[in-house]
Amino acid sequence: MSAPGAILAGMGVGLNAVRAEVFRVKPAKPIPSAHKHSGDSETEKHTLKGAISAVGHYLDELGLKAGDTSAEIFEALKMLLEDEDLFETAATQIDEGWSAATAFIMAVDEFGELLAGDAAFEERLADLRDLAKRVAAHIHGIHLGLDLPESGSFVLVGEDFSPADTAQFTKAVVGVITTKGGPTSHTAIICRSKSIPAVVSCSEATELLDGQMVLVDPVGDRVVVDGDESMATKTISFVAKSVEPIIPVRANIGSLSDAITAATTAANGVGLFRTELLYLSATSMPSVQAQAASYAEILKAAPEGPVVVRTIDAGSDKPVPFLNMPHEENPALGVRGYRLIQDHRQFIVDQLTSLEIAREQSGREVWVMAPMIATAEEAIEFGSLARKAGKFKVGVMVETPSIVMALSDLKNQLDFISVGTNDLSQYLFAADRMNSSLGALLNPWQPALIRALAKIAQDSDAANLSSGVCGESASDPAFAVVLAGLGFKSVSASMSQVGAVRSALSAVSAEQAKQIAQLALSSVSAEQAKSKVLAALSNL
Amino acid sequence: MSSISATVTVLDPIGLHARPAGQIVKLVKESGIEVRIGKAGEELVKANSPLRMMAMKAKTGEELLVEIDTDDQALADSLISQIQDFLKG
Repeated sequence: MSAPGAILAGMGVGLNAVRAEVFRVKPAKPIPSAHKHSGDSETEKHTLKGAISAVGHYLDELGLKAGDTSAEIFEALKMLLEDEDLFETAATQIDEGWSAATAFIMAVDEFGELLAGDAAFEERLADLRDLAKRVAAHIHGIHLGLDLPESGSFVLVGEDFSPADTAQFTKAVVGVITTKGGPTSHTAIICRSKSIPAVVSCSEATELLDGQMVLVDPVGDRVVVDGDESMATKTISFVAKSVEPIIPVRANIGSLSDAITAATTAANGVGLFRTELLYLSATSMPSVQAQAASYAEILKAAPEGPVVVRTIDAGSDKPVPFLNMPHEENPALGVRGYRLIQDHRQFIVDQLTSLEIAREQSGREVWVMAPMIATAEEAIEFGSLARKAGKFKVGVMVETPSIVMALSDLKNQLDFISVGTNDLSQYLFAADRMNSSLGALLNPWQPALIRALAKIAQDSDAANLSSGVCGESASDPAFAVVLAGLGFKSVSASMSQVGAVRSALSAVSAEQAKQIAQLALSSVSAEQAKSKVLAALSNL
Repeated sequence: MSSISATVTVLDPIGLHARPAGQIVKLVKESGIEVRIGKAGEELVKANSPLRMMAMKAKTGEELLVEIDTDDQALADSLISQIQDFLKG
């Protein structure tokens, strides 16, 4: 059991803290392992039909409760559950002697193998496996519902919550704590949209007991056992000291409408223009003229300042229909980004040619960079390709640990580098961005990431490369101060965060930012780094 | 009875996923007619199983052959245009 006053670290979702009683979601009784039936096949098939229709009925109820948009998800799931081929496959297993519950799980596994390896189906497959478990549970008379109280105020504590679980949340759920799941888990998304304060990836919460009072403090990324509202971490309000931030704050965009919205913010140019959107929905390769026209429109609309364009960042998990991209076991480590040049050199050359036409037409300052660069050779090859194509400033993304170690080889070869912190974290920590159990490793406050960033800023300086950060982490005002203190020359944030990041960077001097960065660098955990920095910022 | 066939193109950016597969099954079941679908050169599957259709892993830009067991050209045309609509995403 956790002692009163104990602090359990996790990752916060939301801006408000809440104090309430712990309600633990109990793990359900295990479903019996695979076994044969002793009766006749026809009775088993009848049992299976009954269980499928009961679970189908349960999905109908969830759909009704969830309302409009989510109802469609439950309808699609019901179609999969009631698939005739799925039932026939299970019926064949029953004829072989397997029990109804075992046969249905086997049938789902059989289809699972057919669908495996396709990122688009992974979630549906997980949903379908969950449904198979429910069918099996129904057959064995095991209850899987959460049995949440309808009244009172409770903080729900569990491993992680599936869509079927969150659909059962009642009004009594005022806070949520999960021991697994990261900031992009289903639980986090639902809590954010329903404004339920939550702390996810809080592994020590397994110690909490029913009836204990806890303070869920998302801004502080923590849960305080028996804490009260006065202990809640406040959001820092920055007081601007100067009109201009200590380093320029640019905006991330991906389309014409983004460019128009970004121009309404105080962004100094665009630090990341993702070009994939122009291609992901095209069924055939757009001509150079068509590409140039789209780019010129976007460049003209973009906020004043330089526009940093990233060449296509597609891969087999994000395929471009007209480029032949074979299925890969491990797309994050596969042929993606600049590696496409192996088979699609002309495509990349055409993209650069189109950008040059658009640059001339718009009269804008255009910087181009290539994603997923692993060696200095690749970086230099891209540099000469881009210089041949047009009058750009030329750079590369720093996302792989290998290029971090090779920045000095780029001296006088390129103009700039830009760090993608999400991918750099994924490759540095060997932690899949899509895996919800690994959220804590992908926390940008991890000291190892911050130290890698410090090296990048230093080595870039020594190699005469202007360094910037365009990953998600630069959208966090406090983290942006750390980045400036580490020596980065610009940051690029999501459009909605440009204002907040600018005010943070206008509230500190370059010297203060440097001192704050030192606090993060000398920390031994993500929690410590963040809390030291926040404390220093609120004492400015 | 003979069958009428036509070609449709997957335009949905995610490919042939659960939602369009479900919509096609619903349409086919309501019509009461047997419809088969598949990639050219591969075995066609009955369009009454969303999972079988998803297992084809048809991606954006791919063409699919649709075979409809009917002699009624107008009915076939209507089914095909609805299926094509579902595949637009």
